[in-house]
Amino acid sequence: MKARIVLILFISSSICSMSLFIGTEIINPFDMDALNRDILYTIRLPRILTALLIGIALGASGAILQGILRNPLADPYILGISSGASFMAIVGIVVGTGYTGLFSIPFFAFTGAVLTGAIVGSISYKKGIFWHTRLLLAGIGVGFLFSALVMLILSTSAQGELKRSLLWMFGELSMSDWGNLPYGFIFISSGLLIALSRAKALNSLMLGDELAWNLGYNPSRERLLLFISVCLMVASSVSLGGTIGFIGLLMPHIVRMTIGTDNRLLIPFSALLGGTLLCLADMIGRTVFSPMELPAGIITALIGAPYFLYLLRRKDIISG
Amino acid sequence: MYPLQIDNISFSYNSLPFIENVSFTLSNGEFACIMGPNASGKSTLLKISAGMLKPLSGRVILWGKEIQRYKGKDRAKLISYLPQMLDFSIPIRVIDILKMGFYPYQIPPDLDISAALKWVGLTDKKDMYINQLSGGEIKRAFIAMTLIQGAGILLLDEPIANLDIKYQLELVRLLKDIVNNRKISVLMAIHDLNLALQFDRVILIKAGKIISDGEPFKVINEENLRDVFDIDVKIHPSDNGKIFYRYG
Repeated sequence: MKARIVLILFISSSICSMSLFIGTEIINPFDMDALNRDILYTIRLPRILTALLIGIALGASGAILQGILRNPLADPYILGISSGASFMAIVGIVVGTGYTGLFSIPFFAFTGAVLTGAIVGSISYKKGIFWHTRLLLAGIGVGFLFSALVMLILSTSAQGELKRSLLWMFGELSMSDWGNLPYGFIFISSGLLIALSRAKALNSLMLGDELAWNLGYNPSRERLLLFISVCLMVASSVSLGGTIGFIGLLMPHIVRMTIGTDNRLLIPFSALLGGTLLCLADMIGRTVFSPMELPAGIITALIGAPYFLYLLRRKDIISG
Repeated sequence: MYPLQIDNISFSYNSLPFIENVSFTLSNGEFACIMGPNASGKSTLLKISAGMLKPLSGRVILWGKEIQRYKGKDRAKLISYLPQMLDFSIPIRVIDILKMGFYPYQIPPDLDISAALKWVGLTDKKDMYINQLSGGEIKRAFIAMTLIQGAGILLLDEPIANLDIKYQLELVRLLKDIVNNRKISVLMAIHDLNLALQFDRVILIKAGKIISDGEPFKVINEENLRDVFDIDVKIHPSDNGKIFYRYG
């Protein structure tokens, strides 16, 4: 297992550093002129950091949600948070908000995500218990509601807005700049820290509430804390780059099959691999059909889905 | 002082009385079972005893202190509870489940993982995923976890339901072995009248009330069985101390 961990760390750091220098413009790190330096610091570095942060948030959230919902199909978008964020972001696009400034699209998206999280969370809380089935169903229900509202706005909006909205929904990294990164970093790292501090409790929750109780944890309290950590991470990631599919579903399964099922390793490694995959997908997206760019979310699904299906065939560990 | 004292508890679901004025104590090293028809309150009684459900009235006393007043981790070192349904849609390795037994502790107790695995006979399956094991093996894996957890009281909700006869006997023998070796107290819900004879004590309940409580041969009689299970039954003791039941 140690060899695998070292290998993963090596691959991740190589991909992330490679993606700094590969793009529409290939930069030689040992021979940079002023223009290259400018591209690197003002465009590429913030973009790669954004991709890393989003991937980290999605990978970790996927691992946490699969644990608290006890459902291997759970992904960060299952709680409807992303639909709430999309709704608000598209409202922002339609009323003509920009990508920068205080009341920017990311701000709208973050507000939408947090509000949706609060709605889903409060529906799931009844008689002093934070129920996991209610959480799942409330998430799906609220998600559908906001998706419908998104469709309603899209079907009545002008063509330019429609295209921008669709690009945003597929995961758009080309607008990344330094402006929103600090907020993203603060929210995502605090979410990740909460989750890592509750990793043992999450292990016990995966056995069911009664066994978590048996091991001395309060299942409702632990689930609520983990839910808050997911809300923080998903809200920030969606507001940084829209909804990027597959990372949250896929990474936890890959880590379970390669490193193990203990959340103390599962959460950080799902995060790391999520970040790496998104960097890779973004690098491919902006290089292969250059100068045209493909949204990273499409690439993650194109790389991720076949590999996931291959693992599924090869390793017989998912029940049913 | 008794390890576990159930003091006049009552409980209701949706304001319908479900458990009424139940009291009993569990002694050190006692191997006891609860029997009763479906929905007679066995599971609820075990959950209340584990502190998971709060009784409407009455108290659950764990080593002289009310169970609700313990911190979660401190309680987990003294009493453990295994639910009836153990299902896993997400794969977890057997070894990772056993390690969770250490969670209530800052400094792990003396029993090590390989000893616990050997005891329950899962040494060669420690790296497998829990959903790859058979029903009996899953139960044994969790019993190993509670061994590592180190609690002196073990509450088990129908651990032998859905197991075939061989695994049922194996599990009861394993538990008896643990009770004898580590002087822990076991209280488990079961359904099998023959297996009940393996216990030191049988608590017979019906509609949330204790009907009879004592040694198996005294509690399991034709009159009690008729009353509790609503069945006509004849009991035939044989020469070697075994009992045969003939249902009419």
